[in-house]
Amino acid sequence: MTLLWLVYASGINGYMLPWDKLAQFVVIATAEWFDALPIFGGTLIRNFIAEGAVNDRLWSLLSFIHIGLPLAVLALLWIHTHRVPGANTNPPRAIMVGTSVALVVLSLVRPVTSQGGPADLSAAITTVDLDWFYLPVYALIYRWSPGEVWLLVGGATVLFLLLPWLPPKRRRKAGFHILLHPDNRIIPVRDGEPVLEAALREAVPAPFECRNGGCGECKATLLHGSVDYGLYQDSALTPDERAGGKFLMCCATPLADLEIEYVPTKTPGNVPVRVYTARVMRMKLLSHDVMQLLLKVQGDEVPRFYAGQYINVLLPDGQKRSFSFATAPHERDHIELQIRRVPGGLFTTRIFEEMKEGDTLQFEGPLGSFFLREDSRKPIIFVAGATGFAPVKSMVEHAFHTGMKRKMYLYWGVRSLRDLYLPELPRRWAREHENFAFIPVLSEPKPEDEWTGRTGLVHEAILADFPNLSEHQIYACGSVAMVQTAHPAFVAHGMSEHDCFSDAFKLAPHLRAESAELVQPGGRR
Amino acid sequence: MNAPARYAVQGLLYAAFIAFVGYFANAPTYEPLAPGYALVRLSFSHGAQRKEPCRKRTAEELAKLPPNMRAPLDCPRERSSVIVELEMDGELLYRIVAPPTGLAGDGASTVYRRLTVKAGRHHFRARLSDNVKGEFNYAAERSIDLGAGRALLIDFNAGQGGFLFRM
Ligand SMILES: Cc1cc2nc3c(=O)[nH]c(=O)nc-3n(C[C@H](O)[C@H](O)[C@H](O)COP(=O)(O)OP(=O)(O)OC[C@H]3O[C@@H](n4cnc5c(N)ncnc54)[C@H](O)[C@@H]3O)c2cc1C
Ligand code: FES
Repeated sequence: MTLLWLVYASGINGYMLPWDKLAQFVVIATAEWFDALPIFGGTLIRNFIAEGAVNDRLWSLLSFIHIGLPLAVLALLWIHTHRVPGANTNPPRAIMVGTSVALVVLSLVRPVTSQGGPADLSAAITTVDLDWFYLPVYALIYRWSPGEVWLLVGGATVLFLLLPWLPPKRRRKAGFHILLHPDNRIIPVRDGEPVLEAALREAVPAPFECRNGGCGECKATLLHGSVDYGLYQDSALTPDERAGGKFLMCCATPLADLEIEYVPTKTPGNVPVRVYTARVMRMKLLSHDVMQLLLKVQGDEVPRFYAGQYINVLLPDGQKRSFSFATAPHERDHIELQIRRVPGGLFTTRIFEEMKEGDTLQFEGPLGSFFLREDSRKPIIFVAGATGFAPVKSMVEHAFHTGMKRKMYLYWGVRSLRDLYLPELPRRWAREHENFAFIPVLSEPKPEDEWTGRTGLVHEAILADFPNLSEHQIYACGSVAMVQTAHPAFVAHGMSEHDCFSDAFKLAPHLRAESAELVQPGGRR
Repeated sequence: MNAPARYAVQGLLYAAFIAFVGYFANAPTYEPLAPGYALVRLSFSHGAQRKEPCRKRTAEELAKLPPNMRAPLDCPRERSSVIVELEMDGELLYRIVAPPTGLAGDGASTVYRRLTVKAGRHHFRARLSDNVKGEFNYAAERSIDLGAGRALLIDFNAGQGGFLFRM
């Protein structure tokens, strides 16, 4: 409110300085308005009462105010915007340019000129062309009385000041509390806040992955109380599970105090999840449907992450899309993403058709518990399906960087040769590192590929090479279908659940979907 | 929507924005004073007489005071109110009793009043009292031709002999 009034006052002051008819009106009205206050009681107007009264000293004062007020505004604004984290003070550039140009054009077409020659204090102002955006209050001073205008202005100020505390009780609710098991801890939840958010804020080791209702990782049991289930995908929480008292912590907001039980995890290194802004530094088409995106994080601050983790790109409408880091954590200059075009996909289509270098985007991260475990000595088998190669690249480069000596096999499964979008890189790794082997597998090689290598499904190729998987660690990453078929097959061949890490590239839940099979709009109970 | 259409619609919206801002930035005209009327402004700031005259302190009283405060005269600071009456064409236009300002009631009485009158020739009579008894010890009369849209300022300055009519 202080800022608003200072800005208003400096604008009014601006109207005084031309010393034309409008200035006379504004000066006299201001004086008369303030004189209605008991502390002035008629003394202010004496400064402007007659021709001789307006002297140089008064004039210097007005000019001083002309500079002083904006400086005060600037100082307060600076403090104000610094109090708000990540304050966004500019409108989108297009709008900024558009309105600026529009206003410049307007000032040329219809310049504001001074009205009625220099002010003549012995004459009354009979008519004046008012700026109705800025000065309607001044018209009211004479329509009503100055005192009534004070009441209005004062009332409005008080109202605005009270606004944060005033209206509906809905917002006044401080939120709820959750009793957590097995911690046996009580944590507060802010009003409208998802359970997971509150838990993470309180440093509760709650499990999560997508934070978007897609993975089911954050499933917990509701022991007591009721929640708004939020929007999530059916596969993440089946109706049966929901009926059985399960809910997704990332989507659900409490409707009462809750008692819940969850399975705690160790989050990798407690790297905080934050929102970042990044500029698209380079775009390169790696194959017919894979785009390489190099992102420069603003503030030159690449988040610390674990090889294999991913980020959620935040779309303007609030939707999220997940993409894995393709760079290793020691790469501090930029982030690489490898993005496959999904036919009909909202965001990936935008990348291929609209995005240009220099664009900015926001993302949150790092996310995910799919990362290279360095506390084992077993040989590693990487299984990558299509762009599942991205997190594998991050892990392998990280392994080379840290001088890991464990044997590594990379099985990269794609449809045909043209889908093998970076074939030279793993081949080079194999040449340069004797503990690394690369086995590309094509499921549908085309005749023109003249493919002589391995064919079929990628997990079958692995099973053919390693009939017994009990002494290996497996990292599988790719489409849901690939991960879901590979996993039971690996288990059948002796893989221990302990040594299997997988990340299925699920599509984001379609919150606005018409198709009921994909979407579970919960919460309207 | 295809690109040309989008730009056209955007242009249109910007034009509407310009027109809206441009029009209300200095229109419609505002009329603080109706045609055919003139303004009479009564404004002055005048320190009235003290309520009580100064009194000589007795030697006894002086002795009681601390040495640095032994002024021979005791002058109560409070002033009386100023009473002003303004008549136009024989009718009372405005009357005010203006108390002194200041916490101790020792400041000047300030009056400002804005009166709208019909334009034309008027006879003004102003009286002012600045003493405890309420006697009108200043008075002035003047016939003035007040054209429409003119402003008459009635000021008061005791040093210049009382009321001043200024056009
Ligand atoms: C942890 C993780 C990491 C990932 N890493 C990568 C990576 O590194 N590289 C990569 O390329 N991909 C990765 N993915 C996959 C990537 O997130 C998806 O490909 C991406 O979200 C697709 O977004 P989109 O907006 O283009 O498509 P969407 O708009 O989400 O559409 C996806 C598909 O759903 C269909 N669809 C759209 N709307 C509906 C509807 N209402 N009902 C039914 N179907 C609909 C579309 O036709 C399309 O086929 C990852 C996924 C996860 C979960
Ligand atoms: S984190 Fe809740 S469903 Fe993925």
